[in-house]
Amino acid sequence: MNIHRIYSTKSSGYISLFYIFFGISSFFVHPGSLIASEPKISFVNDVIPVITRAGCNMGSCHAKAGGGQNGFQLSLLGFEPLEDLESIVMGSRGRRLLATNPEASLLLMKASGQMPHRGGIRLPKKSQGYEIIKTWITQGALMDTSADVKFVAMELIPKKGVLQRGQEQQLKAMAHYSDGTIHDVTVRALFESNDKAMAEVTENGLVKVLDIPGKVSVMVRYQGNVGVYNAAIPLGAPVENLPPEKNFVDRAVFLNLKELGIPPSKICDDATFLRRVTLDIGGRLPTDDEAKNFFANTGANKRNQVIEDLLKSPDYADYFSSKWTAVLKNRRDDASDIVSNFAFNAWVRDSLLANKPYDQFVRELLGATGKVIGNPPVAWYKRVKDPKEQIEDVAQLFLGVRMQCAQCHHHPFERWSQDDYYSLAAFFSQVGRKPSGTRGEDLIFHKRGLAVATNIKSGVALKPMALGDQVAAIEADQDPRLRLADWMKSPQNPFFAKALVNRYWKHFFQRGLIEPEDDIRDSNPPSNPELLAALEKHFIQSGFDLKDLVRVITRSNTYQLVSTPNKYNSGDRQNYSRYYPRRLSAEVLLDSIDQIAGTHTDFANLPAGTRAVALPDNSYNRSSPFLRVFGRPEGESVCECERVQSSSLAQSLHLINAADIRSKLSHPEGRAEKLAKEKLPLEDKINAVYLAAFSRLPSSVELKVALDYLNAPVVNSAGQSVDAQKAARENLQDLVWALINTKEFLFNH
Amino acid sequence: MAISMRLFTLLLSFALVFVAVPAALAQSVGLPSPRLLTTTPMGGKAGTQFEVVVTGEHLDDAEDLIFSDCRITASRKVDASGVLTPDRYMVTIAPDCPVGLYESRIMTRLGVSSSRIFTVGKFPEFVQSKSNKTLESAIELPVGSVFNGTISERSVDYFKFIGKKGQRLVVDCASNGIDSKLNATVIIADAAGRDLLVERLGGVLDYSVPKDGMYVIKIHELTFKGGPAFYYRLGLWEQAAGTRIIRQPSTKTVNSYSWPPIGLSEHAASKEIEPNNDGKRAQKITLPCDIGGSFYPASDVDFFEFDAKKGEQWWIEVVSERLGLQTDPTIFIQHVVRDSKGADKITDVLELTDIISPVKVSSNGYAYDGPPYNPGSSDILGKLVVKEDGTHRLQITDLFGGTRNDPNNIYRLIIRRDAPDFALVSWAMHMELRNGDRNALSKPISLRGGATMALEVVAFRRDGFDGEIEITMEGLPKGVKAHGLKIPVGQSRGMMLVTADQDAPRGYTNAKFFGQSKIDGNSVVRPCWLASVAWPIPDSWGEIPSPRLLADVPVAVSGIDFAPITITAKAPIYEVTAGEKLVIPLVHKRRSEFSGDKIQMKVIGAGFENAPRFDLPIKADTSQVTLDLAVLKTPPGEYTISFVGGAVVKYSHKPDEVALVEAKTKKMMLEVKDLEAEAKKIATEAQVAPAAKKDQMVKAVAMVTAKMKAATDALNVTKGQLEKAAVTAKPKDIADIIVSEPITIRVKPGVKK
Repeated sequence: MNIHRIYSTKSSGYISLFYIFFGISSFFVHPGSLIASEPKISFVNDVIPVITRAGCNMGSCHAKAGGGQNGFQLSLLGFEPLEDLESIVMGSRGRRLLATNPEASLLLMKASGQMPHRGGIRLPKKSQGYEIIKTWITQGALMDTSADVKFVAMELIPKKGVLQRGQEQQLKAMAHYSDGTIHDVTVRALFESNDKAMAEVTENGLVKVLDIPGKVSVMVRYQGNVGVYNAAIPLGAPVENLPPEKNFVDRAVFLNLKELGIPPSKICDDATFLRRVTLDIGGRLPTDDEAKNFFANTGANKRNQVIEDLLKSPDYADYFSSKWTAVLKNRRDDASDIVSNFAFNAWVRDSLLANKPYDQFVRELLGATGKVIGNPPVAWYKRVKDPKEQIEDVAQLFLGVRMQCAQCHHHPFERWSQDDYYSLAAFFSQVGRKPSGTRGEDLIFHKRGLAVATNIKSGVALKPMALGDQVAAIEADQDPRLRLADWMKSPQNPFFAKALVNRYWKHFFQRGLIEPEDDIRDSNPPSNPELLAALEKHFIQSGFDLKDLVRVITRSNTYQLVSTPNKYNSGDRQNYSRYYPRRLSAEVLLDSIDQIAGTHTDFANLPAGTRAVALPDNSYNRSSPFLRVFGRPEGESVCECERVQSSSLAQSLHLINAADIRSKLSHPEGRAEKLAKEKLPLEDKINAVYLAAFSRLPSSVELKVALDYLNAPVVNSAGQSVDAQKAARENLQDLVWALINTKEFLFNH
Repeated sequence: MAISMRLFTLLLSFALVFVAVPAALAQSVGLPSPRLLTTTPMGGKAGTQFEVVVTGEHLDDAEDLIFSDCRITASRKVDASGVLTPDRYMVTIAPDCPVGLYESRIMTRLGVSSSRIFTVGKFPEFVQSKSNKTLESAIELPVGSVFNGTISERSVDYFKFIGKKGQRLVVDCASNGIDSKLNATVIIADAAGRDLLVERLGGVLDYSVPKDGMYVIKIHELTFKGGPAFYYRLGLWEQAAGTRIIRQPSTKTVNSYSWPPIGLSEHAASKEIEPNNDGKRAQKITLPCDIGGSFYPASDVDFFEFDAKKGEQWWIEVVSERLGLQTDPTIFIQHVVRDSKGADKITDVLELTDIISPVKVSSNGYAYDGPPYNPGSSDILGKLVVKEDGTHRLQITDLFGGTRNDPNNIYRLIIRRDAPDFALVSWAMHMELRNGDRNALSKPISLRGGATMALEVVAFRRDGFDGEIEITMEGLPKGVKAHGLKIPVGQSRGMMLVTADQDAPRGYTNAKFFGQSKIDGNSVVRPCWLASVAWPIPDSWGEIPSPRLLADVPVAVSGIDFAPITITAKAPIYEVTAGEKLVIPLVHKRRSEFSGDKIQMKVIGAGFENAPRFDLPIKADTSQVTLDLAVLKTPPGEYTISFVGGAVVKYSHKPDEVALVEAKTKKMMLEVKDLEAEAKKIATEAQVAPAAKKDQMVKAVAMVTAKMKAATDALNVTKGQLEKAAVTAKPKDIADIIVSEPITIRVKPGVKK
């Protein structure tokens, strides 16, 4: 089919589009045909917002990669109006629009449901959006010109407020244009609540807060602009007798609680603290001796001392390295990966043990050169080979910025463009590789030359720029990756320290101040900005000291609140008025079961007694149904969300009846067997099991229940009495088994 | 057929000298070769005598334990009854023996074994005598001692020591550098075993003791592998503050054969002076120069400026990686013109990076695609031809040094006028068989009677030297001859063929191996280093061969075992006119059976290496090869060539042993039979003996019965030995390289038509 496109340019700069199919013009518009009495419809300012609001240019519809739904391609959220115009007007041989009868245009027929449309009715006939597009077609389906008014910014009214539970608030989106005019575009804007359990928002911007107190945000998008409405939803309860403020963490948290009228729970007892902090820092339960010594210690500083002991211990390094190596993708795809994976895990672990400053740690990773065996962070470049994947991982992991979208189009919720994406990629453009002599491994080095990356869309070669920040010129013999690391550690960097403190805060409180923890953006504000800023400042001033960050968090009374809600704060999910219980992670739970059962899990290639939290890579998941069922990550993703922390029926069944659990309980060297043999009063044996499981002694009720059970005669299936020793052993096994299956054991609380 | 056509094509495509053998026909690679794998301990203190236990492969009828220095001697150990104790020696190190590394080997029925490093140290030594795999069983290590230990699989070795506050202690674990497979992780922990300081990259722990008390050292393999090959020498000593740590010695990498140039002083004439980290602070130097510097701190770039005139030629050499460091130096040179305002106009002149290996090195992939010896380096050797008068700025940096802060990462930069020279390295020619199989890489020069062994020789040519290099070996055992296939002008590869006569007597010498050439009209002789891998590697998927230079060139003849076949030309010398065909009749002297009827052979030796491969009828007694000089275009001159191929031999190991044990068994059977008869006789006599003699007779019966039992037991042992010997001697399919004896060809000028 011959298609001739004729572009004629008038002095006014208008562009007319002519389509001639075999000499027959099915669409012929001349600028002169504009109807003088009707205001001109702007494609950019009027039509695109209608299309966007209708959802036509969502990623799942016509902005779908690879040609759009049914061959009709639009740019995502209308970021590329020129391409959209071309697609609407000229695409599919011009049959989407019919100038002589605009309402018969395929575009409107489908959008209004007059013709079958898989996306359903998006613009009902006679709706405002429908009429805008119809008029635009009638006026010649023109592109805006330089003379047309331009959309400048969106103003959101109001920007913040305090809303009582159940209260409503109408938001208004006001568009400012280059001619100074302001229009209410609320009906064309898109609204989205960041926590639908706290606040709902209608498509016309009416916010209704629900019953949960705290901070909630509503994101408003219009024409690539994003506005955020922040609402505080106070509970309004009296906040009296706050725990003492131990440091700035308490100050910021308690101030927020006061503002919201959410009284915090009380400080936890020693047993709860010891178990909680040992699990959170060391990834394990306290030992029997640790618990006894801690309870016997009457010193005022004993909680701080426990924190110090844990931070010095290799358990801290093992536990936190398992956290880092998963998101750094230390994945075993081939048996020969074992050396690099062990070396990489050891490097992370040893760095944490030595408390290497975080900025230095990241610098060594980003700027890694040489061979894995001589410089283990090189292993990251073995696993993450594609420069695009490198910058996406670095941005998400170390800066809390998700750049993936910007590879192909402007980020829908953020300011990141494709130029930002490729400017960041340019930092990795000079990573050289040579064969290393080891199968599957390259020698990594800095390849001399000017760093540039080409925007695949515009074809423009871009110099390194860090998320919009200019960095000074990088000479050919300077490794741009190190310049990126320099930029990261700058005290003025708005991402680097913030991303880390938020990630670590989440480790201890289950919920990040920004959630998800690796999606920091203007449209996703923190629940306590003052606290986040204070943590960020403290972390930078400490010289990026990770142990000190853990210290400051765990020393706070905020961390040491009980998890039990008081009469007011049961609904609090984000203000840290109490400790939020969470299930032990797969590795910690397995180690904990081993600890209470007095057993060890055997892992291939590793010495007997190696803890699950010290496993160097994901390969052990294959041989351990337990680790798989409880969600140990496979190192596939840079996101911590790959670790499954939710509960499932399979987990319950595994704990109740899996062969590995049974064999641990009945292990001949196990706790039940040993206790059964010891000549101790039954109460002491029960105490020992409780202490191991919960770091506390049983209550009188619990003790009675346990005694009754252990004293009851045991008969076999034939009703015959079981040998006393065997009965004692099996009874104790039952007790251990029962405690393992309690929420108190399964959760850190 | 197990070997794929793709792989076969790949093998053929390499212009290398290794030989391929059909995998399906073979069971293992390489005829049995004696290999010394471990000595326990792995070294000792000078001036001491101690027992050494050895293990290895094919150390049958092991004789002397030999060292590369006469100040270390060994004698076979005898037990209390004067019987030689198998595998045990008493080693004496003379007091004047310097601290360092030495080669140890064992003479066996197959010749001299491969080498194992033996260290002479200055501290008292201890040997692992009990398990120390738990904190509770930690072995106490005195400060100022060396411990010889071996790591077991999936385990950690524990030691404890008493530290005093303020003491500077060094913990140095020698492993990879003494032929061990152990990638050591070394940890200093507190008395409770909690890690304090960790080293996993082969470095040393330099520890300032924070307070008086007990401390723990843990050793394990990076991936918790273990076994006899994973041994170590753990040193713990006090180091004076401010002094430089001198670590336990380490073997040399293969590529260090090219360093230093002959006659170079041990230390650089000058040093880099910091700060010289950018062009404005470039250190002024004059050429020629010899500068010592370091890539420290991380991302260090050192700038130097010198003046040079158009047309000058300078050779630039940097050593760093060849010193055993994990560095990758790179040099960039620019021409600088400073204008009247002090601004620099910079023009790029030259970038220098790696020294490329003259031979294709193994990629350590599944297939054998080259030897595992890398004669190249990430160091630098390049030529600067000055194009313009004026100031030149040279910057040197370590491509691997972006984030590594190690002052030990040093370099030496030499800029000199042309100083043409060469260095040589050599290794036993290897072969392809099963994919991944690298067993045959560990190969001592131990010759069977009638065997010819091929050694690949590689030349490093310095400063444009392109002369022809003759290769020679001298000081060989009786009945052994060496023929060097010279390295032609401008080329890098040659071959050394070492041949033992069929009747060469059992013997061992330390030979001299060198190359000769003419440089500027003067005859120069340069040593040829020998390289070998530390261990046979059955599976290259899981393990990378670890090659190193040897300190000497041992050559031995078995005198007992013989080559499966000897291929010789009927005449030692052939003459042919250039452009004509030469037919060489070959004689096959077979001593074993072979699988298949023919083997593919190729020609090695300058002038004839492009000759097409040919099939040699292995089961025939003679054959002939035709070389078409019209195609080869070999110019007139004298050449030495050889034919090389791979064959599957039906090899019988120690066949003579069967006969010996059989004879012994027969003799013992007769003895047992005699004792049985005697016992029967005495028993009969005892039955009828008078009461007074009853006791005496009962004793006699008991005595002869005991003797009979002992003899029967001994016979059963011998029968077991016979069975074992029969199994050992049973012919097995083994693939190996077949090398013909060298042939000299004189090519006469053709008649011009």
